[in-house]
Formats: sequence, structure tokens, C-alpha cells
Amino acid sequence: MDAEARLAAALGGNTAPARDPSFTLAVIRAAEADRFKVETTRAMLSAGAIAAAAAVLALSLAGWGALNWAGVQNGILGAAGIFALVATARLMTQRLAAATSR
Amino acid sequence: MNPHDEARLIAAARKGDSRAYAALVDAHQQAVRGFLRRFAGHWADADDLAQEAFVTAWRKLPRFEGRSSFRSWVSGIGFRIARDARRAHGRAQVRDSVWQSEQEAAEEGSPLEDRIAVQRAMEALPDEQRAVVALCLGEGFSHSEAAEILKLPLGTVKSHVTRGRERLLRALEPNNGR
Repeated sequence: MDAEARLAAALGGNTAPARDPSFTLAVIRAAEADRFKVETTRAMLSAGAIAAAAAVLALSLAGWGALNWAGVQNGILGAAGIFALVATARLMTQRLAAATSR
Repeated sequence: MNPHDEARLIAAARKGDSRAYAALVDAHQQAVRGFLRRFAGHWADADDLAQEAFVTAWRKLPRFEGRSSFRSWVSGIGFRIARDARRAHGRAQVRDSVWQSEQEAAEEGSPLEDRIAVQRAMEALPDEQRAVVALCLGEGFSHSEAAEILKLPLGTVKSHVTRGRERLLRALEPNNGR
């Protein structure tokens, strides 16, 4: 056997099998685990960001409310008045509708 | 696998179809593992590197532009992972892995002395040259595919093949210092 053929034979030995389901399965398992880890991290980061934004908003609203308590009271009274008006209007509309449908 | 089937499987895998990706892995694992076995020297390590290459490819699949074949693209990812791992592990580990691979080669039944001589000569080659030899002489990749995988100019690949082959042939000559 000449040197070229010996080299080809020596290099040709390190082949992997043409079909290897256990290797493919190991790759898919690792890939799925990797995807799960990435998606979990992403979900945790987005939930954390939303929670942090909500906390900042709530704190700033509380701070503003403490400084402008009179304004907050007026706002609450105004909102309650509007709510009462809307509720009364809806009640009257429903009664009117019931009366005309008879 | 023909290019049309491969493109269809890549498109499905991009949408998250793991069965399509399993078919791609199944079709190309032999070439990628064969290349990394010759490049990394140690079979078990090489198979771990090949697995890591396929997992990285799955993660990066949306960025695969299709300018090279899927096999070349994954081989390139594997080469960079293996090169970084070699740098991290250092020479001592490489020597250990050569010894272990020699024991594995002894079980193969082919000319043991030639295998050991070629493997030692491969270990002595610079990283890029070893990768070119593993791809072109070991796995039958074309010179242009090897150039694409290793991000090297075509002329450099050709000269690496010529010089690498000469050094491996010299290792097989009698009285070469063994």
C-alpha cells in the first residue's frame, strides 16, 4: 500500500455512523431545554419589568396624592358625582325601556 | 438530502418544528461529527462539541441566510466552538485526549501505527491547517466550502491542504522519529 492510500485509510477511520438516533435525540433534548431556558428567562424579565413599572407608577401616584390631598379629595368627590349621575341615568333609561316595551 | 427538501426542513425548523430540525441533524451529523473528531482529536469531546454546535445552530436558525449549505454553516459553528474550547483547556488536556484516542483507535482494527502517526501529526498542525485537512481530506468538503466554513481565502485553504498533506505523509514515512 502506498503512502497516499495509507493516509486515506488512517484519516478515514474517525467517521461517525451515518445514522445515529441517540445523537439526534440528545441534540433535540438539549435544544428544547435551551429554548425553555431562554423563554423562561424572557418571561421572567418581562414580568419583572411590568411589575417594576407598576410599582414606580403606584409610588409616584401615592406621593403626588400625599402632596395634593385637597385636590385628591376634590377628584374623588367629582368622580363619585359623575359615577352617581351615570348610574342614575342608566337606571332611568332601563326603566324607561322596560315601560315602553310592555 | 436534496436542496429543496433541506430548504423546506429549514423553513419548518425556523417556525419551531423540532421534528424538522431532528431530520436536519440526522442528515448532517455524520459530516459535522467526523470533522470535529479529526479536528478536536478526542471522540467524546468532539461529539459534545458537535451537539453544542447543533444546539447553537437551532438558536441561530432565524439568522441563517442560506448563502452556504446547512452542513457548512453548522460545521463553521462547530469549528469556532472547538477552537475556543481548545484554547480554554490548554495543552495538557490535549495530550491526555490524544492518549485516550489512541486507545480507542486501537480497538478499530485498522493499521494502528498509521492511525497514531497521523493523529499525532494532526495534533502538531496549526489549528487552521488541521481544520482544513479534517474538512477536505477527512470529510471530502470542497476547498470553497472549507474556505466558507473557516472564513479563509481560497488560496490559503489550498496551500493548507497541500502543506498539511505533506506533513501527514511525512509522518507515515519509516524512520520519521517514532
